[in-house]
Parts: sequence; structure tokens; C-alpha cells
Amino acid sequence: MTAAETSILESPRRRRVTLARLARASVPYWLILPVLLAVGAILGYPLYSLIRLSFQHYGLFELIQRQGQPIGLDNYRSVLQDRVFWDTLARTTVFTVANVALTIGIGTLLALLLVRVSTAVRLLLTGGLVLAWSMPTVVAVQVWYWMTNYENGVLNYVLTELHVGDFFHHDWYATTFSQLALVTALVVWGALPFVAITLYAALAQVPRELVEAAEIDGARGWRIFRDVTFPILKPVLLILTSLSIIWDFGVFTQPFLLIGQSQIHPSNYLMGVYLFEEGYFKSDFGRGAAISILMLAIVAVLSVFYVRKMVKVGDAA
Amino acid sequence: MKRGRVTRVVLNVVALAIFVVVVFPVFWMISTALKPDDEIVALNPTWLPTTPTLSHFSAAVERPFFWEDVKNSLIIVGATVTISIVLAFLAAIALAKYGFSGRKLFIVLVIGIQMLPQAGLIIPLYVVLARYHQVNALTGVIVTYMTFVLPFCVWTLRGFLIGIPKDLEEAAMVDGSTRLGAFFRILLPLIAPGLVATSVFAFVTTWNEYIFARILLNDQSKQTITVWLSYFLGTSRNTDWGALMAASTLTAVPVIIFFLLVQRKIVFGLTAGAVKA
Amino acid sequence: MYGRILLAAAVMAALAMAASAGATVKTPSGQTAGSITVWLQVDAQTGWPDAVAAANRQFEQAHPGTDVKIQYQNWGDHLQKFDATLAGGSGPDVIEMGNTEMTKYMAAGAFADLSSRKSGFANSASWLKGLAQAGTFAGKLYGVPYYAGSRVVTYRKDLFTKAGLRQAPNSLAQYRFYAQKVGKKNTSKGFSPIYIAGTDWYFAMSFVYDYGGQIAATSKGKWVGRLDSAKSMAGLLAYKNFFKATSRASKTTDETRPNPYDVYARGQAASMVGPSWFSCCVGDKYKATSAQFVMPSHDKGKPMPGFLGGSNLAVPVTSGDKALAGDWIRAFTDTASQRTFQAKGNIPNATNLLGTSVNERAAVRSWFVPTAKHWVDVENGNILRNMLAQILTGRLTIKQAASSASDNIASVLNRP
Repeated sequence: MTAAETSILESPRRRRVTLARLARASVPYWLILPVLLAVGAILGYPLYSLIRLSFQHYGLFELIQRQGQPIGLDNYRSVLQDRVFWDTLARTTVFTVANVALTIGIGTLLALLLVRVSTAVRLLLTGGLVLAWSMPTVVAVQVWYWMTNYENGVLNYVLTELHVGDFFHHDWYATTFSQLALVTALVVWGALPFVAITLYAALAQVPRELVEAAEIDGARGWRIFRDVTFPILKPVLLILTSLSIIWDFGVFTQPFLLIGQSQIHPSNYLMGVYLFEEGYFKSDFGRGAAISILMLAIVAVLSVFYVRKMVKVGDAA
Repeated sequence: MKRGRVTRVVLNVVALAIFVVVVFPVFWMISTALKPDDEIVALNPTWLPTTPTLSHFSAAVERPFFWEDVKNSLIIVGATVTISIVLAFLAAIALAKYGFSGRKLFIVLVIGIQMLPQAGLIIPLYVVLARYHQVNALTGVIVTYMTFVLPFCVWTLRGFLIGIPKDLEEAAMVDGSTRLGAFFRILLPLIAPGLVATSVFAFVTTWNEYIFARILLNDQSKQTITVWLSYFLGTSRNTDWGALMAASTLTAVPVIIFFLLVQRKIVFGLTAGAVKA
Repeated sequence: MYGRILLAAAVMAALAMAASAGATVKTPSGQTAGSITVWLQVDAQTGWPDAVAAANRQFEQAHPGTDVKIQYQNWGDHLQKFDATLAGGSGPDVIEMGNTEMTKYMAAGAFADLSSRKSGFANSASWLKGLAQAGTFAGKLYGVPYYAGSRVVTYRKDLFTKAGLRQAPNSLAQYRFYAQKVGKKNTSKGFSPIYIAGTDWYFAMSFVYDYGGQIAATSKGKWVGRLDSAKSMAGLLAYKNFFKATSRASKTTDETRPNPYDVYARGQAASMVGPSWFSCCVGDKYKATSAQFVMPSHDKGKPMPGFLGGSNLAVPVTSGDKALAGDWIRAFTDTASQRTFQAKGNIPNATNLLGTSVNERAAVRSWFVPTAKHWVDVENGNILRNMLAQILTGRLTIKQAASSASDNIASVLNRP
């Protein structure tokens, strides 16, 4: 295009054609402009500010003075040399893998189930999923805490009644593993509705005739899924997986509120909680900014595989 | 086919079992909202209230600022979702159907914003909004929510658009309509389920958001319903669990209504996809 | 090629717009003329709204044309909100701070100096030492004492009388003896003669101070953790034994999950230690048979030192009208208001106002946290809570847990 374009300035006829082509070529830019403006206007300065903060010593005193002291890479050095940072990173990675696997796995199965059940059951299950989804997180955490509490939690009651063991006064919040297992259950429960409903909507786009054609060819169940359904679901699955990784890695509200502010401790930190504790509770905003940037980099690395696939899939279409 | 019917029954049972597990916390919330206080704190939990009471609901509604905060939430969420879906749909079309240079950069930007830890942005965002006098204002919150919801919507809608087979597009363009025209006439109905799912997500996320609403809105008359809820727990004195559960149930109602309104679209989209031959 | 330029231009424009708009618009420096904003905790909204209304009326009469906007806050996130307003402006003119939260903010220069106005505040000559200390930094007054609270025992008189206790126990051993007798008579599963939450550090540290130990002290200008001293560890051991003998609460949970009075109200506890306002929530069944006494020391005849909690009222430096803010504080902490707080079960802010309620008698012997800039970080980091959980579950010995906690506390307090 470039070589031809340089010579357009001569002929008027060619110029008109190119103007039309320019108009058509500029369509995508007009389409993305509103989003760019909206996001840039609001996040532009805060982002720049966040990056700048990470290179400053900025505590409560500096916050009030509105002036930080530049200290170069000291914040980053301090974080990267902190044992707690690496332990938290390892713990959060395991947590993220478990959560994403459970969410996407169970979500896909749920979507497939939704397609195959009778209409009444489908409406009931979808309605149930939306009900679960509609609970505000802060409320869901309270209800979950209450169901699992030491004194009279219904979970302990049910497990004892079912003779799984004596769970009277069982303390689910006594060990880190138990705490994070509960957080995982809560997070997956909260994320399932969205994944299941989105995948179900995507399945709705699988043209019936393609499935029927495959069935006529003699294919069944798994093969239909692999050859017909999965390729159409792939873009949506990739999105959901990469988003789940991003969200689960940085999750804050559920662990912080479920484990409880008084039981949060470096031994059960997840990255989102670590950021909040270091940056906000300790009022060390420069260090908090450095942790934010590091988290951004880590999440980018963790999700790069899926993001690349997503971009490729888009290009192939 | 008999085998098909047996499978269907089995799947129905499985689905019902999953329904029970998924819905249990919601059931527990509503059941608690209807129980009298002594049953709530009793040592052995009861499944259903033996003497149901609506007193918690009236206590919740009578708490100061309930109706104002519901109104604020509706305004904020309505504006955010509407604007975001429209803007995101446009951008998603550009990403999914056009090859333009700088595309990769835009994609990276969209994904990158999602990766930002929101907690890190609280104070810088507050400072920017304060300069524009957008603190303690609904518009400030709307604009903040939009920036977090937009990238997600763009991304998801792009995924749905890509999923539409290319021959359907080409069939639409055969009769001479422009590319953009083809999108709006043919693809819009096809992508309706995707639009609905995305808008439901945007609705739920913004309706339930707490941290930014809490930091940005100071006057109780301007706060959202999630912030209003937090006052039940914030006091160091007696926590009224019954009223909290009743209030929580009430805050979930608009989401359920919204979903009931739009879920027909998903069903419609299903049949539309089937008819297309 | 055109495409790339167009896109880059759009991004640049957006960022430039944001940055330049930020640079040219001036930061607002105060409230709208004719009003002040006050941040009080929700305790005032539910506990003594009449005192708030009275203070507002008094203020508005003295300053016609200026009205008062009260915005109620939660303990959980009011500091995060405060930080945001300190950074961006449009913050409150008066803020209620917990007494353990004050030092950090005073050291950072968050508050206006009120020293010159001290004599204008009611009863300032006889302010409670603990509260006044919490509001003073480097000799200057930044926080006016608002109210205080200490800890007492709320108990089932009927159960203890049946076990043979006819008056308030005069020693820890005596209290424990009768508590165990009550426990033997009541065989329901999980019943606690004394409900003590495992990581209730306010209560546990009372034992430490009772045995002559302390949390931390300064030595040659640096903070040193003292939980591993012999006296402190004796206190911790006494706490562990006391807990094991009398409480069936979770060893790892705090004193709000669950609320002790919820356990008490369903008959699962014969007594509990906590603020005196616990009496509000003992349940209808036990309201008539519940009473309170001062927690006894292991030393016969003395009360155990209790943690003196409380709040101070301060004026942030970002306030648009500090004089008016000070006037409102003066109206809200006058003697009439203090009497209202007292009637609602709190301790008033001055010794000349003290009465003889159980709450006030318990305040006679009290302890307070180290007045260090970073003490709040020790609390938020749950160092003490974690130590107690490890001791009670037996995961660490007292010596191990106390040493590691002392080291942690020292490193946090000594941060620059």
C-alpha cells in the first residue's frame, strides 16, 4: 500500500479512490476512539502517577505534604528481597491454578449440561446460577463465614449429622490450608455462574446444522465436542481462562473478609491481600505502587500464553 | 430414543443436585432473613423458620437512606452498563472484523488494563477525580466503573463476534450492503446472547462493587446500596444479622429482575441460531 | 502507516488531556462556605444520636449560617478513606480517631495543633491521662479526648450463686474456682464457664501487665520487645492456663467472630469479658439475671489492669476552617455531652466526672499500648493475635512464640 500511495498525489481520479479508501480504512479507528478516550482520560494520570510513586519513598507524611522523595529502585529492591513476597507469590500461583482449573472445568461441564436438560430444569438451574451471582461479594462472604463458623455453622452440623465425623466446634479457620480451601470454594462458587452462562450463550451460537451433519457422519458425544463445539467455543474459553487468571491472581475481597482482618497474616497472604496490607495498612504507598507494578508484570507473564492464542485466533478468523 | 430419554432424566437429576448446592447460600440468606432473632443465634440451625417474620425486612427498609441509595445504585449501574455496552460493541467490531495497524497495541492496552490491581489505583484515582470535582458525585463513580468494565466488555464481545462463522457475514454482504451495515442487520441478532451475557456481567459487577463506591462517596445520601449494606457490619456494637440478611436479599432483587427481563433474549438467540440455514 | 499515526495521536491526546487538566485545575482547599464536615464512627449514630444533635444545635446557634454535616464511618475502612482525603482534599473538618490510631497520624503531621485552645475545652485540666496522652505528640495537643471504655466481666448471677459465689471474686484464682464449678454443673456440649476468644489480645495482655510484664519499651532510643521477659511469659502462661480451664471458644479467632454476647445469649456461656456495653445484648432470657464485676487480678484484692480503649477528636490539616472545627469539638465534648456518654455506659473523658459504675471502677488500673508511631502496624499485622493462636494451639512453646513476636514487634516499631 505504501509504495502505491506515494504516487497518488498526481492523479485526481486516483486521489478520489484513495480518499474513499482512507474513509473506509479509518472506520476501525473511529470505532475504538470512544473507548480509548474514556479509558485514557480517567486512567491515564493515575497510571502515570502509580509508576512514578513506585520510585519514591511515599509514606503518610509525604502523602500529607503531597511530595515524595525519589529513591530510585529501592522500593523494588526491598520487595524483591522480602521473603514474604516470594512465599506469597508461590502460594498465590498455586491458588490461581486451582481456582482457574476448577472454575473453567466445572463451568464448561455446567454449560454442556444446560444445553442437554429439559427446559424447565434449564431455567431453574440458570435462575439458580443468577441468584448466586447476584449476591454482592461482601454479603456472600458473610453468609459463607456464617455457614462455616466454629460455634454453630451449618456445615459442621450437616457433616456431623451425615456421620462424616464429629465436626462439632471444628475450626475451619485454624490452618492456612483450610482457610484457603474455603476461599477457593467461595471464589469458584462466585465465578461459576458467569462462566457457565457465558459458555452456554456461546454454545447457543453453535449452528445446529453443523452438529446434525456430524451426527449423520456417525460421530458421537466427545468427538462432536472436539471437532464441532470446541473450535467455536475456543475464543470464548480463551478469554474466560485469561480473565480468570487475572482475577484470581489479584483477588482481595474474599480472602480478606472470609479469613478475617484479625486472622490475616503473612502465612496466609495472597498477592491482593499482600498489596493492600503493605500499601494501605502500613501507609507505605511507594512500596505498594512497586508491588502493584510487579503484580501487573507477573500476571502479564502468567497469562501471556493465553493472550497470544487469543490474538492468533482473532487473526485467523 | 429410549436411551436419550434415560440420559435426559439422569442429567436432569444431576442438574437439580447442582442447583441445590449452588443456591444453598442464597437459600440460607433468605431463610435467615425470615427467622426470628432467637432462631438465628440458636446452637442447632433450623432449615426453615418455624415462625417466619417480616420484621427484619421492615427494619432494613426503615434504616436511613435505603431508598436514596437504591436509586443511586440504579442510576450508576444503568448509566455504566448502557454506555459501556455501546462503546464496547463498537470497539469489539473493530477488533474482530477489521485488520488495522495498531490493532495489536490496542489489544495489549485492553488486556493490560484488566491486569491492573485495582487496589493500587485507589489513591491516584481519587486524586484525579478530586481535581475534576468528581468526588462525592455519581458521575465520578460512573466514569470510574466504566474504565474497569469497558476492557472486559470489549474483550468478551470480540470473542463472541469471532465465533460467528465467516460465511454468514459474506452471505449478508452479497446483497450489496456495506460491511458495517451487514454487522448491524445480520450479526446483531446473532450476537444477542453474547451481548446479553456481557451486559448481565457488567450489571452484576457494578451493582456489587464496594471499594471505590466507599472511597469516592461520602454523603450517605449519595452512596450506593452496597455501601449502605456495610453499615450493618461496621458498628462495633450489636450486629443485626436478621436485618443484614433481609437487606442483602433486597439488594439482590434488581439483579434478578434485570436477568429475568433479558433472559428471554438468550432463549430467542438460541432459536434464531437454529433457524439460520 | 496512517493507521499507526492516528492511533498514537489518539492515545497521546487522551493522556495529554488528562495530565494537563490535572495541572491547571486547582485543588480545592476546603469545604463549601457555610458548612463543616464531621466524621464520627457509627457508634455515635446508634448509641447517642441525641448528644450529636445537641452539639449541632449549640454550634449552629453560635455560628448562624454554618451548618454541620455528620458522615458516619466504619472502623474497618475509615483510615483508608481518610488517607484518600489527605491526598486529594475534600476531607472532613473533624475526625474521630481510635486512641491507638492517633500516634501514627500525629507523627505524620496529619492534624492541626490545638494546644492554644486547650483551656477552652471542658474539663481539660482533669482529662483522663490515657486519653490525653493518646492525643498529645511532642508536647502538642492534637486530639481532644472524646470518651473511653474499659473491660469488665458480665456474668450469670444465677449460675454463679448456685455454685456458691455470693459476691464479686477478689482474685483470679477464686473466679476460676467458681467458674469451674459452674462448668461441672452444666454439661451441654461446648459450654464455656468463661467465654474468652483465643486471640483476644486486649484480655491476654492484661495478664502480661498483671504479672509485671509489658509489650515493648524503649532502650537507648530504640524499641525492644519485652514479651519474652520472664514476667511477661509468666503472664502468658497464666493466660494459657486460664483459657484452657474455662473457655471452649475457638483458639484462633478474635473477639468479634462470634460476638461473645451471642454465645452468652443462647446460654452457651456463664460469663464473658468485654466492654461494659455488652450488657445490651445478653438476650431477653438472661437480662434480669446478668450483672457485672471488675476483672480481678491474680493479686488478691486488686483489679486486673484493663485495656483503656477510647476515641479522640482531631482536626485534619486539610480542613478549610480549623477554628470552626475546634468550636464544634468544644460543643461536643462539653460536660453535658460527657454526661450523656456516661449514661450510655461509656467512661467520660475527665477524672472529675467519673462515677462509680463497674466500667469506671475498672479503669482505675489500666494499661495502654506502646506510644510508637508504628504501633498501628503491629495491630494490623496481627503479631499479637498470631502469637496467642500459636501458644493456645500448642504449635509453639510460649518461649518460642513470645521471642518471635518480640522480634517482629521491635522491627516494626523501629522502622524509620
